[in-house]
Amino acid sequence: MNKLYIFLKYFFIVVWTVFVVAPFLWALTTSFKDFQSVNGGVTYIPWVDFEPNLEGWKVLIKSPAKGGVDIIEPYFNSMFVTCTASLISIILGTLSAYALSRYTFKAGFVKNNDITFFFISQRIMPPIVLSIPFFLFLSSINLLDSLTGLIVVYIVLLMPIAVWIMVDFFNKVPREIDETALIDGCNPYQAFLKVVLPNSIPGLIVAGMFCIIFGWIDFFFAFILTFTEVQLLPVKIVALNSSVTPWWSLSASALVSVAPLIIVAFIVERYLSKGNLSGAIK
Amino acid sequence: MAKIDLSNISHSYNPNDPKPIYALNPFSMTWENGNRYAILGPSGCGKTTMLNIVSGLVRPSAGRILFDDKDVTDLKTEDRNIAQVFQFPVIYNTMTVYENLAFPLKCRDFSKSKTDERVNAVTETLNLKSFLNSAARKLTADQKQLISLGRGLVREDVAAVLMDEPLTVIDPDLKFRLRRNLKEINEQYKTTLVYVTHDQNEAMTFADNIIVMSEGEVVQTGSPKELFERPNTTFVGYFIGSPAMNLFESEASSNDSVKINNTLIKTHTNLSNLKTKKIKLGIRSEFIKIAQNQNENLVDVNVEKVEDLGNYKLITAKLGNFTIKSKVTRETEIPSSKVKLHIPADRCCVYEDNKLI
Repeated sequence: MNKLYIFLKYFFIVVWTVFVVAPFLWALTTSFKDFQSVNGGVTYIPWVDFEPNLEGWKVLIKSPAKGGVDIIEPYFNSMFVTCTASLISIILGTLSAYALSRYTFKAGFVKNNDITFFFISQRIMPPIVLSIPFFLFLSSINLLDSLTGLIVVYIVLLMPIAVWIMVDFFNKVPREIDETALIDGCNPYQAFLKVVLPNSIPGLIVAGMFCIIFGWIDFFFAFILTFTEVQLLPVKIVALNSSVTPWWSLSASALVSVAPLIIVAFIVERYLSKGNLSGAIK
Repeated sequence: MAKIDLSNISHSYNPNDPKPIYALNPFSMTWENGNRYAILGPSGCGKTTMLNIVSGLVRPSAGRILFDDKDVTDLKTEDRNIAQVFQFPVIYNTMTVYENLAFPLKCRDFSKSKTDERVNAVTETLNLKSFLNSAARKLTADQKQLISLGRGLVREDVAAVLMDEPLTVIDPDLKFRLRRNLKEINEQYKTTLVYVTHDQNEAMTFADNIIVMSEGEVVQTGSPKELFERPNTTFVGYFIGSPAMNLFESEASSNDSVKINNTLIKTHTNLSNLKTKKIKLGIRSEFIKIAQNQNENLVDVNVEKVEDLGNYKLITAKLGNFTIKSKVTRETEIPSSKVKLHIPADRCCVYEDNKLI
């Protein structure tokens, strides 16, 4: 019984690991292959099955004029849009979440919980529903095909996540902390900035991480709202998929695009395991 | 440091309702500068609401609050210069112990040297010296509560230090020492201390004035002795003292005596103006003794059990249908199951409608 349990446990762990890791390994090996090794039957092991080369990686930084694909500009575009939109979302989201957690709002039958739900409900509908309104909206203010326009749209998409996470977090921060700060002589703004916010860093990190992930991986709106002037990374990568797909550079760029998220995950995970997140309250 | 006047204060959490429920019924009270007060009452009786009104966290539905005759009802918490300690430790996790204690002074722009001096004085009193530079979140619950307490005491000029059951999470041993420390601080700095508790022993040992509350009502204010000897209502008699006051439902039979189980008990209360004849007779078990050579106010009882509680013996006996409890010294011999008890007339309290006559 016990042995069977251990066997099953490891069996499922192995299956799951293969499931998660295999695509990465596949992409990693493919990125070092050339046309022959990709199209000439199945090959796995470098130097044995195929001769690895760096061509797939080199084209990523070459300009299109020299036959490259140049993902550097889209890369920085993506980074700029994601970080700016995440930062603004976190700031606005945290402020509104604090208000929703601490003050009572009432407009007819609409109360705090309804407002919080309204924010989340923005993410319930399928994104396609928003595509035409966003398109018309951005074109009316001349922000189609621009980084600013994308940032505006991403804030709309990311802020609900920030509000949702932070409301829940602030609700768990005892009100007595704010009250104590008031008693100690802070005004409500100082109480928020000096006491509540430093206590909420774990929540901010979690919310920030989610915003960055959702911002970074978005393809749909980046695809619909930009044409030629501005290109974000996901769109650029998909655009590689032409009549003769360059699987090697496609794999390399996919890996490059996942890298920042892996780095973020590692940093947050280290922070988590240090115990900095637990025991923050009480 | 200030004299605090609460005048006609009342509070309801749903004031706009056609039938508001009052957490605090109208009352007036003055807290003199430099005294120690305890607010005593069961959970949910409005103690915390009262504190929050004084500190400004709650604005009363009606009434005014005056600090040294200055109206502060509309003044914000941060401008009132008051300290409040909550039941559970509230500390600033991201700061060290020193920063925690210095925070109230920093917020009010005290100089560095003054801050150091005050923080050192407080850490001395609360025995926190060795933790001064460690992160506050790494301490144990009772150390954290000491920090909360310290933040309340670090300002010398506060109008009052309000404490909401601050010692609940602290070890009994340390509790005793801290209560004494608080008393010393009060005597040394003449800080007004207000202490909310549901533990009568804590209230009795700490305060020189006790405010007893029940269901949003201030039932009695007085010294521990007054509350013990002349409870205003049967609630106070029941709530204060261990065991609770003996209460006998009965009828007045003449101008100053009450009949209990066919025995006439003389009291020092004038019973000629009663609306009804139905009354309650209350007497502390501490005052009931085994009859020696008295010849009136004697009752015959059947002893049910005698408990030896260390420094005294507690006799539980039956007097007809009533249960009567008497506290006697350890040395007292309890002769047999039938005993004559003496109820001193001057210790009898008579209640009509549960209120003292």
